[in-house]
Amino acid sequence: MTQPWDAATAAHLFRRAGFGAHRERIDEALEAGRDQTIESLFARREHDPALVRGIRPMLALEDIEPLQSWWMSLILGDGAPLIERIALMWHDHFATSHDKVGDVRLMHGQIELFRRMGLGDFRELLHAVARDPAMLVWLDGNANRRGRPNENFAREVLELFALGIGHYDEHDVLEAARAFTGWGVDGRRFVFREAYHDPGAKSVLGESGDFDGDDVIDLVLAHPACARHIARRLLAEFVLPEPSAQDVEHWASVLVAADWNIERTLAQLLRSELFDSDSARRSRIAGPVELIANTVISFGLRMGPRDAVRAASDMGQALLRPPSVKGWDGGRTWIHAGSWLARHNTLTELALEHGAGRVDAAPALGHPSSKEEVARAVLARAFPEGATPAYTRELEAAASAAADTSEAVRHVLALTLTSPEYHLV
Amino acid sequence: MQLSRRTFLVQGLRVTALLPALPNLAVAARHGKAADRVLVVLQLSGGNDGLNTVIPYGQDAYYRMRPFLGLRKRELHALDDSVGLHPSLAGIAELYAEGRLAVVHGAGHPNPDRSHFRSLEIWHTADPAGPAGDVGWLGRMTDSITKSSPGALSALAIGAGNLPLSMRGESFLAPTVRDPRGFRASPEGEVVRTARDALLAGEAAGDLGFLRQAARSTYATAARMSALTDDESAADYPEHALAKELRLVAQLVRGGFGTRVFHLAHDGYDTHARQAPVHNELLRQVSTALTAFQRDLERAGIADRVVTLVFSEFGRRAGENASKGTDHGRGAPVFLMGEPVAGGQHGTAPDLERLVDGDVPSTADFRSIYSTLEEGWMGVTKSTAEPAMDLLRPI
Repeated sequence: MTQPWDAATAAHLFRRAGFGAHRERIDEALEAGRDQTIESLFARREHDPALVRGIRPMLALEDIEPLQSWWMSLILGDGAPLIERIALMWHDHFATSHDKVGDVRLMHGQIELFRRMGLGDFRELLHAVARDPAMLVWLDGNANRRGRPNENFAREVLELFALGIGHYDEHDVLEAARAFTGWGVDGRRFVFREAYHDPGAKSVLGESGDFDGDDVIDLVLAHPACARHIARRLLAEFVLPEPSAQDVEHWASVLVAADWNIERTLAQLLRSELFDSDSARRSRIAGPVELIANTVISFGLRMGPRDAVRAASDMGQALLRPPSVKGWDGGRTWIHAGSWLARHNTLTELALEHGAGRVDAAPALGHPSSKEEVARAVLARAFPEGATPAYTRELEAAASAAADTSEAVRHVLALTLTSPEYHLV
Repeated sequence: MQLSRRTFLVQGLRVTALLPALPNLAVAARHGKAADRVLVVLQLSGGNDGLNTVIPYGQDAYYRMRPFLGLRKRELHALDDSVGLHPSLAGIAELYAEGRLAVVHGAGHPNPDRSHFRSLEIWHTADPAGPAGDVGWLGRMTDSITKSSPGALSALAIGAGNLPLSMRGESFLAPTVRDPRGFRASPEGEVVRTARDALLAGEAAGDLGFLRQAARSTYATAARMSALTDDESAADYPEHALAKELRLVAQLVRGGFGTRVFHLAHDGYDTHARQAPVHNELLRQVSTALTAFQRDLERAGIADRVVTLVFSEFGRRAGENASKGTDHGRGAPVFLMGEPVAGGQHGTAPDLERLVDGDVPSTADFRSIYSTLEEGWMGVTKSTAEPAMDLLRPI
């Protein structure tokens, strides 16, 4: 049985399948019902086209900051939340860093690839990523030549991108690397250099033949561990961080039955009992980007994309600069003294400054008319599922100690945003 | 013995074998308790031009290959009759004269790679063969230190950049301190402090309990650090960022904060064009910051507890390019600074008549320097099989 369609369930959906929702969107969702809300999430592609195109002249600057800010502006703009959410997931999954690629256009091309194909057929996405120029630079495609194969890309396809440790051996890595020889970049384009390609027989994952790179990707996709690997990633991102083996198995079969279409798989996943379950709700420690975006969007605050990029970097998630090909470790590794302080300082300043007349949270809170209403209004936004009596009492006490309603909003908001409960999404 | 060996080396002759390491115990006895020792690592990011840092002014080839960038003998701080330090390194030269600075010539790695990323990855993981893992040599060191003192912030990265790979351990992920005044909780938050403390009190299961514990210990750490760093008076540091970051390190060491490994980075060394003014300024900052730091430690009476390593991912080509700059090369000098250091020159000074593909080759394996610092200084197991060097003072 799925749970009743109420504000808590709707907020859970928006936190997971997007980056939170402001009050009006929750109200709309409650009126529209679950099905239509989920459909509309898939349908929403309403980015301001100027925003999407605006990056083009900036690419020539060869500076990664404008590109980071551009993507953050799409996330904070909340125009196509699911597209940005899935692109962020693939950016973590196929983690590629500008630190090595060193070419802003290639980084832009890869993010656009994730935005364009991220909800489509995973098999097509994997083939496209293998030819993506940023990926080829990142994992040394150009250095992978007949007679002296570079295993970097082949290894990560097997280990991180598609199968996971335990489903292949070193021999598979070496043979797969031979199949990818000759795949490189010329200028900013994928190029196949026949002369560098090793056309000989290879044996990969128990099959033998004169494989090329695409053949290897098809072999990988045919391996049963692949669907499980991707299902686990979807579950960890959208549902709960450590899904059970049965859940992984089940959603792997759903993914395959949906012809590897991520959108159709997600459409079922978001409607599932598992998604709605108590064990799924508030089961993830928010990553920096989603924490910031959730806060800005849910409370109608204003934060420039550049500031948001820097704040997320301070908290340990620099967009387009993941720490390694493994991406961000996530979960509890988000939290240590430096990053908690960055969370605390960013959110405290955001909460306390906006009420000082620059941006008013009152609309998002339904214009509380007295100090007494403030705690309830903030709780309704932050925790529509309710908070413990002790938590509620502290917020009420802070509100009543404030000089006036506007100060109460600021203080209660600062307390809420910096409380550990708020960092579970 | 030592002296003759060095004289021997700086005449440009090669020695293939490095002297074996001193026994740990001897060094340990000389420099106080092992648990108090601190390692500071300063990374010059972008590939510092080693040949214009420690200049082989005695070799004609240097001036032939660097008609524009070559630095004249009279501008230099001569270390002996064949090499001298860059004019900006006045403070460093003083430290050298006092025996507080070791120069390791031609430090680098086998399988040289001209990519910044790959080269740093090699320095950070101490693994030139790859594939690169995600654990760095300082992270490994910190894992080992943290095992014996759980809960301590045994390592800190200081500065604005991403956490370097070198500082990532299996179990310990070093926090980054971005503000040179140290961790500070935003003062605005003080208005709700009592209520905040109340919200954090009490135990909870799972991630909520973890987050509460992390938040409580973070606020306690920030308060402790603020108390140590509020005093800005004492030492005389220049105004630039690197100096402020090193002042923070000194404050934390002096105040007994408990951190054993610090990592700092100084960016901007990728000088492909119009190198001279940029390089002059960068080295001036390094020299003034390191000297102020060392003097501060000496005044505080803790100079026997701190060793500072200065490295860059690679040196630059021996010949200058057509843009009055230099391109990516291989070996480059590494500095070790501190009272415990065996001052002087170590390894083989570059011989510009014997370049490899136009580069100063790597003649001292960087892993030997790490082994020295791991075994001989920090008292942890060395992370590679490379033998240590005699870079620390004997009894």
